[in-house]
Amino acid sequence: MTKHEFFVDMTCEGCSGAVTRVLNKLGGVQFDIDLPNKKVFIESDHSVDLLLETLKKTGKNASYIGTK
Amino acid sequence: LYSILVSVEGMTCNSCVESIEDKIGKLQGVYSIKVSLDSKNAMMFFDPTFQTTESLREAIDDMGFEASVSV
Ligand SMILES: [Cu+2]
Ligand SMILES: [Cu+2]
Repeated sequence: MTKHEFFVDMTCEGCSGAVTRVLNKLGGVQFDIDLPNKKVFIESDHSVDLLLETLKKTGKNASYIGTK
Repeated sequence: LYSILVSVEGMTCNSCVESIEDKIGKLQGVYSIKVSLDSKNAMMFFDPTFQTTESLREAIDDMGFEASVSV
């Protein structure tokens, strides 16, 4: 599995909670959230596009940084 | 025009409120949305041609906030 790094414009616990929920809903992911640095690390076999789309469901700005 | 009140869990501040109002407010058929952080709910007015109680509840839930229709 590849580990991907994403930027997600999270500002509070509510944001990281929302990211946690959308990723758990998607399934097939293992992830870590770094709230202060606005980063989300995801290990998954899903495509980057799908992961990014999922993160954007929260209504926050999100972008792909690269593989870790 | 219909209205619904949806309970929303997981919001912690005004930016949570704004992101929900912003995203849901842009959906087709949604005339207005007012989210309350204190009461943990969202009040929406919508056109039943484009949205249903369930579609709106699900739209909020999809954003990562636990949403349920409070009768
Ligand atoms: Cu937030
Ligand atoms: Cu917040």
